[in-house]
Amino acid sequence: MATVERGSAIYEGSRIPSPTPTVLVPDPALEDVLTVNFGPNHPSMHGVLRLVVDLHGEQVVGLNAVIGYLHTGFEKTMEQKTYWKCITYPERIDYVSFQYNELVFVLAVEKLLGLQIPRKATWTRMLFSELARIHSHLVYLGTSALEIGAISIFWYCFRERDLLLDLFEMVAGTRMHTRYFQVGGIAEDIPLGFYEQARAFCRRMPEAVDEYEDLLNRNAIWQQRTRGIGALSAADALALGQTGPNLRASGVDWDIRKREPYLAYDQVDFDVPVYGGGDVYDRYKVRVDEMRESTRIVAQCIDRLEEMHGEPWIADDRKVVLPPREELHTSMESLIHHFKIVTEGFPVPEGEVYVGVESARGESGCYLVSDGGPKPWRVKFRAPSFAALEATAACSRDAYVADLIAIVGSLDAVMGDVDR
Amino acid sequence: MSYEGVPGLVETREAFGETTLVVDPARVADACLHLRDELGFNVLVDITATDYLGWGDAGVSGYYATSGGRDINDPMTQGYARLPDARPKRFSLNYHLLRLADDHARVRVQLWLDDGEAVESVVPVWATADWHEREAWDMMGIPFAGHPNLRRLLMDDDWEGHPLRKDYPVGGEPVRFSEAE
Amino acid sequence: MALDPSVDRARASKRPLAKAGLQSERLLWPTKKGVFEDEVENMEEALGLTTLEKALAWSQTKSMWPATFGLACCAIEMMSIVSSRYDIARFGMERFSSSPRQADLMIVSGRVAHKMAGPLRQIYDQMLEPKWVIAMGACASSGGMFNNYTILQGVDKIVPVDIHVPGCPPRPEALMEGIVRLHEKVTAGVPPAYQIRGAASG
Repeated sequence: MATVERGSAIYEGSRIPSPTPTVLVPDPALEDVLTVNFGPNHPSMHGVLRLVVDLHGEQVVGLNAVIGYLHTGFEKTMEQKTYWKCITYPERIDYVSFQYNELVFVLAVEKLLGLQIPRKATWTRMLFSELARIHSHLVYLGTSALEIGAISIFWYCFRERDLLLDLFEMVAGTRMHTRYFQVGGIAEDIPLGFYEQARAFCRRMPEAVDEYEDLLNRNAIWQQRTRGIGALSAADALALGQTGPNLRASGVDWDIRKREPYLAYDQVDFDVPVYGGGDVYDRYKVRVDEMRESTRIVAQCIDRLEEMHGEPWIADDRKVVLPPREELHTSMESLIHHFKIVTEGFPVPEGEVYVGVESARGESGCYLVSDGGPKPWRVKFRAPSFAALEATAACSRDAYVADLIAIVGSLDAVMGDVDR
Repeated sequence: MSYEGVPGLVETREAFGETTLVVDPARVADACLHLRDELGFNVLVDITATDYLGWGDAGVSGYYATSGGRDINDPMTQGYARLPDARPKRFSLNYHLLRLADDHARVRVQLWLDDGEAVESVVPVWATADWHEREAWDMMGIPFAGHPNLRRLLMDDDWEGHPLRKDYPVGGEPVRFSEAE
Repeated sequence: MALDPSVDRARASKRPLAKAGLQSERLLWPTKKGVFEDEVENMEEALGLTTLEKALAWSQTKSMWPATFGLACCAIEMMSIVSSRYDIARFGMERFSSSPRQADLMIVSGRVAHKMAGPLRQIYDQMLEPKWVIAMGACASSGGMFNNYTILQGVDKIVPVDIHVPGCPPRPEALMEGIVRLHEKVTAGVPPAYQIRGAASG
């Protein structure tokens, strides 16, 4: 067909392997090719990714990624649960920046419902989303630097991570997987001591980022291990569906928070770091700068939230939102609403929506199809790590084995997100 | 934004602020090339397949909300017992596209397919479609003609059945004192 | 006297505490006065469990190297017990061994898909005795919130598990409690799970 011939021209001049964009095939003329399995149980801590790599000496000449070792069947399982019960599931998809999947799911349900969210809930969601972004980048930096050999960074990053998780624990009661976002707002009000501790965190965080940069940026070994490695041009990145830090490191200025603002991102002040090289070093720089920018956003959210003290934190629509527990003792209607919402679930109007947010890894999206009943008919999560891993073959074209580890680390793929 | 020139266009729908273009499955590759080259949709965000088997069979459970939205100040609009609109065929395949430019836009291309009906692969149009189409094949059993590497992606290579179909059981173990879910 | 593993294992399995007449069953809690503790004390005096076995058990707990088996969210909390706040290095366990041949403890942290069950069993088989397994989190213990076609409902279907740690994910302190209880179990003389269950091991 004419389309295939016209279309295959995109692979000329690009580093995307052909005919399969995600598989690097060794040159058949090469002799002495060794096939090595970087199996699902991996020292480089990225979860259960399997790379079948063909090596010619130290050079990677063939690459094939096998995924699915963490396939959890989220989408099928969520079709069996009512919307309120569903909220626990998305968090565990991208388990490192867990708030984003929750956020995108509740935003999708609220879009179908046409529900108005109180502004306190919006700002709190923004605050925790940015904290989740910082959390994700800290874990990225800790683990990627560990794999490249800068072992102490792991302990420094996790020290700040514990401070951050203390903030989550103050508000939601648990460190990870807080299930804090509800359809209509957030689950609980913010306790009073939170603001001071959050401000202390915001003071500490830029100093911590300075420490990481002092250790790594001009370190000769780090430079040699990351500069020029795994370069991905802007056109290739777009063709491979990259979004988020991977795309911004390749020189494309695209951030959903700025272009298609959701929550209250158009009311806060922040910059979006963009670097042009597309190599491992630039991806590292983008994420480190994003940590600083997120801290700025968090500081602004704290100030605004303190002004909103005492406002409602969840929508008032009792057909969708659980009533406060005190009311259950006195009001018959509240009891009935509570009963209906918990047992049968609230019905969501028929329709299909797609909502995309800028998560720490890229565009995280939720496509939700509702049949008008209390359970979702189809829910699909667009995983940014899925697209990021597709780029492994294109980035690893002339890489050595050691570079491969650095590349996979810099693409920052979380296997729960990839396999869902 | 005019989508008149898209080859194979059957219908254009607007809902919830989103545009859906229903396209004839036989012309999907032409439509995607047109969207990418003429209209500038350079990023394929997602390919989602949905199975509509049993759509509307659940009958009326309490009440259904209307698709026009709800007005909580007007109690009578909170829905009346009705069944959802019928779907033309069993499977729908949705391509979510993004024009990543200063005049950014999003659109959804929707195809309707029967069981076993093949669709031409758009891997030559957007490289990222590779794994998305493999996942749609693996999970829903939608075959893609011309895909360079159509194998199972998430399930084991020798797995039988397509798990996300509505007639595939959820599986797992029976748990005492748990309801049907 | 040289320690001959075959001889000592035979001795240990000949006299498990239950066969020696231990009626109650619980983990040893040294500071608590209870039926179990009294029975164990009496039995130790009666049977004269050797100092050497006690020393062996003590040393096994002091530097039990975990195998890296982080699968999902629990792996992030497992990584945080290595961090400075929850420091697992004080137990001698900060050396997570990537090679199963050098590992003593497999902490299965995260949901196990059926596709992953094969590699999990392979890694378990490659570990050398004595070896212990901790099922960390709800998903490893029982399948967790995922009761579906793809998640193994409990990792104890394929490997014998010594300790189950509940939580989703368990706090780092909870995981350390599980590890400490495992140490107590070992020093109490309870054999590793593969000896009790009779599961075939490599």
